[in-house]
Amino acid sequence: MDADRIRAHLDPIRHEFADPRSLVMPALKFAQTEKGHLTREDMAAVAEATGYSPSFIESVASFYDRLYTRPVGNRVVSVCVTLSCMLRGADEVWDALCEHEGVDHHHGGTSADGRITIQEAQCLGYCDKGACIQVDAEETKGPYTPEEAVKLVEELREAPTPAELWR
Amino acid sequence: MAEYAPVDLTVENQVEFELDGRRVAAPAGTMLADACYAHGVEIPIFCYEPRIGPPIGACRMCLVEVEGMRGLQTACSTPVAPDMVVRTTTDAVKEAQDGVLEVLLANHPLDCPVCDKGGECPLQDRTFKFGPGTSRYVEPKRHQPKPLNLSHRIALDRERCISCFRCVRFSQEVAQDGELTMQERGARSEITTFSGDPYRGRFSGNIIDVCPVGALTSIPYRFVSRPWDVQNTPSVCGLCPVGCNTELTVREGRTKRVTGRPEPNPAVEEGWLCDTGRWAYDASWSQARITAAVVREATGDRTATLEDAVDGAAALLRGRTAGILVGTAATVEEAGIAADLAGGALPGAVVARMGIPGGALAPLRALPGAQLGDVDDADLVVVAGGDPSAQQPVAELRLRKARRFGATVTGCGPRPHALEALGTFIRTAPGDLAAGVASLAEAIAAATRPVVMWDEADLAGEPAAAEALAAAIAANPAARQLELGAEVNGSGLRALGLPDAGAVLDAVRAGTVDALLLVHADPLDAPGRAAWDAALEGFAGPVIAIASHADATTERADLVLPALTMWEQEGTLVSMNGRVQRLRPGARGPEGAAAGWELLVALAHRLGVVPGYRTAAAAFRAVTAGRPAFAGITPEAAGVLGVPLAAPAQVAGASAPPPASGEGVPLVATRTVYGGAAARRSAALADTAAPAELRMAPDTAAAHWVNDGDRVVLRSSSGESGRLTVRVGDGLPEGVVFAPLGAPGSPTEGVLPADMAPVLVRVARVEAG
Ligand code: SF4
Ligand code: SF4
Ligand code: FES
Ligand code: FES
Repeated sequence: MDADRIRAHLDPIRHEFADPRSLVMPALKFAQTEKGHLTREDMAAVAEATGYSPSFIESVASFYDRLYTRPVGNRVVSVCVTLSCMLRGADEVWDALCEHEGVDHHHGGTSADGRITIQEAQCLGYCDKGACIQVDAEETKGPYTPEEAVKLVEELREAPTPAELWR
Repeated sequence: MAEYAPVDLTVENQVEFELDGRRVAAPAGTMLADACYAHGVEIPIFCYEPRIGPPIGACRMCLVEVEGMRGLQTACSTPVAPDMVVRTTTDAVKEAQDGVLEVLLANHPLDCPVCDKGGECPLQDRTFKFGPGTSRYVEPKRHQPKPLNLSHRIALDRERCISCFRCVRFSQEVAQDGELTMQERGARSEITTFSGDPYRGRFSGNIIDVCPVGALTSIPYRFVSRPWDVQNTPSVCGLCPVGCNTELTVREGRTKRVTGRPEPNPAVEEGWLCDTGRWAYDASWSQARITAAVVREATGDRTATLEDAVDGAAALLRGRTAGILVGTAATVEEAGIAADLAGGALPGAVVARMGIPGGALAPLRALPGAQLGDVDDADLVVVAGGDPSAQQPVAELRLRKARRFGATVTGCGPRPHALEALGTFIRTAPGDLAAGVASLAEAIAAATRPVVMWDEADLAGEPAAAEALAAAIAANPAARQLELGAEVNGSGLRALGLPDAGAVLDAVRAGTVDALLLVHADPLDAPGRAAWDAALEGFAGPVIAIASHADATTERADLVLPALTMWEQEGTLVSMNGRVQRLRPGARGPEGAAAGWELLVALAHRLGVVPGYRTAAAAFRAVTAGRPAFAGITPEAAGVLGVPLAAPAQVAGASAPPPASGEGVPLVATRTVYGGAAARRSAALADTAAPAELRMAPDTAAAHWVNDGDRVVLRSSSGESGRLTVRVGDGLPEGVVFAPLGAPGSPTEGVLPADMAPVLVRVARVEAG
């Protein structure tokens, strides 16, 4: 994504941030909507649009789990693995998804067809709906059984990829 | 030790507090870690480095007990308070120190036996002194590629990093190059640049000095030596007129490393060096180094022993009237002895210095001067002309620091440069610096503690601007001037009273001298070279050069005496701010070479006049005696940190250059320290060597019928340049062209007059790009 588009996105929200550094986050999130992850060029463009050094921008991007500096699947499925969800069977949901997508059971990962990424999340604030799952940056939903979770990713696989990949 | 901030225990109204049962005092605002150190109590630290900036409390190594405060406090970020009761050796403190070190070492490879830092490593030392002795940690450690090249010169060993953030903060806050950051988080945190690109910076090497462990090491010094096998000598950098204080690491007669001093000079470099000053030392054994005397005869060149060569030089000079040219990097001793030859061994000799005549600068130099350290307290810093980031590297860091401390930065000048981003800068047309100066006068008058940095070369060329600037500074009694010099020892040569090179040039032209002695002087590589080329064309007398490296002048000398370099000899240099500082010999230098001052003494002996000195220190005393600028200055007074000249150096033979004449487009020339001559002699810096490029804006290129990549030559009323490659760039002002001084073969020097008067050049394409 080029710096001008990022600037155009930031201009209307600029006034909401007292410290200009805080603009780096919305800029990165927006830049990511194009490819679903951030390339070197995207980060350089964010640097240009915000006035911080590319190295600083990359350090911010590398800090946060939901900012991806490497390619991920068209849809990212985050499975909560914190206490409340675990007590409600989150690890069975996790195992079922990893099994179904053929990814590493320890770290998660992206399916061979590049459609789905399974990743762990810490408490998503939906403890009352455990075991819960968040798709990209959509609203978290639950509770899921392993079977329901597998059905969810199957549906995601068939559904058209959103135009903007907010994650 | 440099890691703690110096504390002045003599000021009034100190804060009294109790330290381990003793009643002590320190000035208000002093951090506990520094106050304790000043009173002989070492609090271990890692992340704290007061030169980098305020404490960040990242490592927790400095925990101490403060009565009445809950939990332990970080001594690096707790200021002293009245009647505070501080305990640094209690069980709680001990336990905290053990704990912190155990965690810091949890992932540390403890490969001290193969680590360059071993023996001079704060982590090693503090673990011995404050650490637990054993670790309970038996799990496998984190493994990383060993080592990674952060650049051509810096190796990064991530396993050893303790995430103290010193290097990152140096890059972000001191050098402000924005290059280094900590990426990822927690146990995966790592130091890196953008996408792992090589670290590009003019000051990158300082991160090696500040790293408290062996994570960042110098590639040219990798596995070269252990701290107990070397001698460290405090010396001075002689590559530019800033005069940074350095420490030379010497082993087996060779300079193996140059670092910032562990006890930095707060008035000059504050411990920081530019990358040129840090890594150029391998120029000592570069290809161009002259290792044996050369005698040029009709039958061809032959090498000679030093004894024979000095005899030969004396024979060539005997009975003749010599012109003696002293180069801008020659020491006070070399220049002074050369000057004294005129009164003794070489009667009637005309002795002059290379470099900018600078007659127009007398009013500026006579104003109260500042040292670089004084820039810290300025509320306004003005940069008149020049480009400190290219020409006086470490001055850039002071300017950035002043800005960090809240000073306003402003300035004017003909060339765009890296420091313009620090404040409001006015772009002046070449030759019209006076207009820029006029617009700064109001700000200078209104400031409480202004420091005005002015560029020697730019203002020397524009007398009207120099006069206006001097008036603006004089109008505010609190204002001080700080010269951004162009020549390594220019101040020293002026203080000795040497006239500018025009004196010798005129004598050569008039035929009143019939021999030439060049002391580290290369008139064929310097501005004004065209005039010298012409003058030497018809010169029949012998030319004798004392030089350490081959240059255009040694190529045509009849006899070359090999001299030592600044890393190898004793001597004195005077910085651009008039600070008299001593070079101390580190390495021995090649077998067949000797210090320039010794060669001159030997020459005087051979010519039958025995000088009254045999050591460099005695020579310094003898040659500075009776020279008012050096009043009261002795080698002892210069000590380790140097001392400012008592009186400003006067310029002999004042003459102001004329305004630009001829026709064409104005040329703005910039000296390059980073990537300049030193970089081309040094293998370590080879990748930084600046190309010989003529830069200009698109419309200017179109107006001169040249395109990016074309090879061109320039012609001015002073002469013709060597070949330059055209680079068309946006962001440059139109109607002016830019070229570097000190590029390979000194192409630009050919069109410039020695007095640096503004020139107009015609651009002629010789080869399409
Ligand atoms: S590399 Fe050295 S200076 Fe940088 S964070 Fe690690 S330990 Fe500190
Ligand atoms: S700024 Fe000048 S004196 Fe200082 S280290 Fe660099 S070249 Fe040497
Ligand atoms: S533990 Fe899963 S949402 Fe809180
Ligand atoms: S030195 Fe105080 S926290 Fe690091």
